[in-house]
Amino acid sequence: MATVVHHPAETKRPPVRQTPPPPPAPPTPSSARRRKAAANAPAGLAWGLILPSIVVVAIVSIFPIAYAINLSLHETSYMQVGEFIGFENFLPIFTTGEGLGQIGLSLVYVIGSLLLAVPLSLGLANLLNQQVAFRRVFRVLILLPWVVSQTVAALLWKWLVNPDYGPLGLGELGGNRVDFLADPVLAMVLLIVVNVWISYPLATILCLASLQTIPEELKEAAEVDGAGPFRRFMQVTLPLMKPTLFVVAIQLTLLYFNMVTLVYTLTGGGPLGGTNLLSLGAFKESFEFFNLGLGAAYSVVLFAFNVIFGAAYIRLLRSDKS
Amino acid sequence: MTDLTAPAHPIHAGVSDAGATARTAAARRRRRRGKPNPLTYVGLVAASLFAIIPLLWGLSTSFKSESATLSDSGWIPAQFTFENYRLVLFESKIPVYLGNTLLVAGLTVVATIIVAIFGAYAAARFRFRGKTASMFLILMTSMIPGIAILVPLYFIAVNLGLYDSYAIMVIVYTAWQIPTVIWMLKGFFESIPDSIEEAGRVDGASHWRVMTKLIFPLAVPGVAAAAVISFIYVWNDFLIASTLISTDERRLVAVGLYNYLSQYGVVWGQLTAAVVVTVIPIILVFVLMERRIVAGLSAGATKG
Repeated sequence: MATVVHHPAETKRPPVRQTPPPPPAPPTPSSARRRKAAANAPAGLAWGLILPSIVVVAIVSIFPIAYAINLSLHETSYMQVGEFIGFENFLPIFTTGEGLGQIGLSLVYVIGSLLLAVPLSLGLANLLNQQVAFRRVFRVLILLPWVVSQTVAALLWKWLVNPDYGPLGLGELGGNRVDFLADPVLAMVLLIVVNVWISYPLATILCLASLQTIPEELKEAAEVDGAGPFRRFMQVTLPLMKPTLFVVAIQLTLLYFNMVTLVYTLTGGGPLGGTNLLSLGAFKESFEFFNLGLGAAYSVVLFAFNVIFGAAYIRLLRSDKS
Repeated sequence: MTDLTAPAHPIHAGVSDAGATARTAAARRRRRRGKPNPLTYVGLVAASLFAIIPLLWGLSTSFKSESATLSDSGWIPAQFTFENYRLVLFESKIPVYLGNTLLVAGLTVVATIIVAIFGAYAAARFRFRGKTASMFLILMTSMIPGIAILVPLYFIAVNLGLYDSYAIMVIVYTAWQIPTVIWMLKGFFESIPDSIEEAGRVDGASHWRVMTKLIFPLAVPGVAAAAVISFIYVWNDFLIASTLISTDERRLVAVGLYNYLSQYGVVWGQLTAAVVVTVIPIILVFVLMERRIVAGLSAGATKG
């Protein structure tokens, strides 16, 4: 908050730092007050305000996902929807080696990326929050990949690790020609690295924003009590950032599970199916092979993964709060 | 701990501080902690390199002639050429794609904010029957994978006669951004104390007036952050822009770039020049808005 300089509203807003809130669980007093203020609001107005949002997401998100679920239970041939066939479209995903392999690869990709991106974002946010020289420059540079689209990221990295011409291409290494895009394992490694590269900035921004809401007094109090930087981080900063870290983890998990563009443009699922993720299956079955039923089945499986992971995070967050 | 012989780095003063409170807090912090650990700089430089090396390599390549891209592997081109940029700017559709993207992203931001700001306000301030359910409904839609609903959206677009139009892109992007923006602005509204509204109402202003004249102006930092996040999302999207649009004249940059690749084969010089041209506008937006993004987000969006 301290970083907005010229905005007049800023002066009208109460400086958060000055009203030391009851730190870890602020919602109770304010929400009680809010309830009082809310009591005399006309219900018609409230509904009128929120209805447009509901209508838009209902038409563009909820109806289509219902449509997709329905589609996944029907036989299809090109654009024609045929008869009801139950879960037959799901069989190739759950009973064949290829389908199970895709599930496994998706999990490797998602978990591998999370294990790199979350600690990286947390660490960078802490570095960027310090009073360093050229802080603004560092912030802009480090957060820059955020604005690079997945297509562009794929192109740039492909060119960067090109075994013959790229500066990060390893060329001949110990007599073997190393081509990231020709080896299934290396291709997955590259895919995860590029994925982290495009996704850590937004996570870092969220962590940074959360860090700035932590009252400096708390850290100073801990310092007075003799806590070193590490203990201050573990016992003051980290607990206060927990809600943000959950939010970051949820957002990244959803982003990673549903990632199509980067995979499609960087590796295309290859080599030898080494990066053939569920999300890519959904895209290819629907838009390259026009097996709409099977594509919809892949989509529904993805949706299920999103809901399972999302619900798990929310549960963890809730149990953590109570 | 203060080292009087070494004045505080001059940019500090300008970097972080809003009001006097923040400035004294920062000063206190500096006094207490002294200079940051040198390892901090090592970490920051390493991270900066990781962030920009792919972009720098692209920039370097864009100034090499097509034959030099495959022989000159230096970071600084042995011979600078602007030929790639000439081709991209004057003999390709990239400028058209850029204009389209600007239009669609701008309209999306406006539509998203207009729809979401009222919903967020209602969710933050009013209590009404069905509120929990409707918020749950809106937020849960962010768990729906975009890829999962592309085929249904295609059918809807065709049936509504909106396939291959700017309108369908704006509608879909708006719907996809609404959950995030509502959630961000709701947090922001909750951080504005009720007392302001109560004061307004004591003065006899209606709910509507209090909301639009008193509270919305206070929410500008949050709205700005939300706007940038939505804008960047549209700027970078590939899926919707590639499946719901078929006319080249209406393409967005992310798709246009990819088609560039398939159209001309791998011509790294031109391709990287195209990348640079398409990345510069969004980098400008980002650099200009960077401080506002963090500031706007820190008020609300980071709460669980």
